[in-house]
Amino acid sequence: MQHDMAPIATIVTSGEHVSPGMRVKQVAERFFQEKHLDALALVEEDMPMGLVTRNKLLFTLFRRFGFELYERKPILDIADKNPLIIRQGERVETAIDKALARPFDNIYDDIVVIDDDGRFVGLLSVKRMIIEQSNALANSIVQKELATEKAKELEKINKVKSQFIANVTHELRAPVNAIIGLAEMMKISCEKGYIEQVGDRLSLLFSSAVSLRAIITNILDLSKVEAGKMEVICEDFDLAPLLDEVVETTRILVGKKPVKVDVSVQDTHLPINTDRVKLRQILINLTSNAAKFTDSGMITLGAKRAGDRIEVYVSDTGIGIREEDLERLFLAFTQVEDARTKRYEGTGLGLTITKHLAGLLGGDISVQSSFKKGSLFMVSLPDNKQQAEVR
Amino acid sequence: MDSRKKILVVDDDERLLLTTKDILENEGYEVHTHDQALGTTGILMTLQPDLVLLDMNMPALSGESLARILLLKVSTRGIPIVFYSSNDEDSIREAVTKQGVTGYICKGDLQGLRKKVAMYVGQE
Repeated sequence: MQHDMAPIATIVTSGEHVSPGMRVKQVAERFFQEKHLDALALVEEDMPMGLVTRNKLLFTLFRRFGFELYERKPILDIADKNPLIIRQGERVETAIDKALARPFDNIYDDIVVIDDDGRFVGLLSVKRMIIEQSNALANSIVQKELATEKAKELEKINKVKSQFIANVTHELRAPVNAIIGLAEMMKISCEKGYIEQVGDRLSLLFSSAVSLRAIITNILDLSKVEAGKMEVICEDFDLAPLLDEVVETTRILVGKKPVKVDVSVQDTHLPINTDRVKLRQILINLTSNAAKFTDSGMITLGAKRAGDRIEVYVSDTGIGIREEDLERLFLAFTQVEDARTKRYEGTGLGLTITKHLAGLLGGDISVQSSFKKGSLFMVSLPDNKQQAEVR
Repeated sequence: MDSRKKILVVDDDERLLLTTKDILENEGYEVHTHDQALGTTGILMTLQPDLVLLDMNMPALSGESLARILLLKVSTRGIPIVFYSSNDEDSIREAVTKQGVTGYICKGDLQGLRKKVAMYVGQE
């Protein structure tokens, strides 16, 4: 396995050297004074001539009569005249291999490094090289783990993406297929002269087109909020009439089901400063969900002031949400039912968009629900006007 | 006696049932519809249709699971079933192979609907 390692030139530990002619005594003094000096290269006219290590020098000098015998001799006499020499362009692994291949009594920590022209560059420690090599190995293991993790993450994103596309196309195809079928039916009616059938079919075709448009709008809205391209335009307005209007729309959505739809507010006027269009969309999303998932009972749309914020809520007596499903409620396309067996139509985008919109208005959304009993969605919004006055 | 071929369409989407019934009736078939997976077995046993168009995504019981049941039962296994779906065509084809049904028809493809139904009931 190849690992990324620093080139030899950058891990050269010492450029210290002496002339081969220097007396042994002087060299010994350097070793005595410089405690961290392990070895010195002998260099003449930039060319390495040998290597003297602290151990070898002290061993020679402290032998019987060693000092007397050698102190005045040139250091070259007792130096290793054939030290291991490597070029600075070589790989660290090669250098380590060469160092370890030397005869056992000749293995020592320092290697002489030369450039391409054979000139002395410095000394290199085998220890340092080994540390470098194990660091590189450790790094490569960490990097490999990171890469695997990233690949897994990407795979997950890809899976979500294709699931997203599969869901979108399925949801888009249903109304498109209805439109195609209804248009065909009208064509047949016209050909046969059954003009009285056309009216009914036309209104079905119209409602299919409207539902198709709603799905497309949802998808575009989601991509807009996710790309941060949705603009917020705040204005002063009264929340109460807006709630009334949303309740009216909800009643239409509930249709013939035995569901009562009502507003509950503390005051008849609830002045607020926020983005009216987005707040309306939030409320419509929440109440249309309530209408979709409630077969009987009650849907209540309410609002109350809480300090410098306004809390708007939608409660219903619908099918509710299982506790384990609450977590993924606001994620795109995760309508909690399995698509193959799901009972309720929809892209599963509504709550994702609603949460994004609430965030855009500086608010947040929370949910309490008990399965088979009903749900309560609460949006807490800052009232910009109140907050400005406080400031 | 009515010699028209009998077709049963099972789908939870009422608009789809309405349009499919109308279009196939116009082709001269006797078309029956059922708006959920549950109860399909019983209808099949009494009606003994010449072909079943089965939606794949339905509440409570998916079209694939229903097909598996129908193909196992002695009283219904002889009736040809085709998946009728808006899903991705590749995934429908995969389901056809997996469940061993007769074939598939993509929703929205009216020409395909007419042609394939004629082929499956042996009128072509």
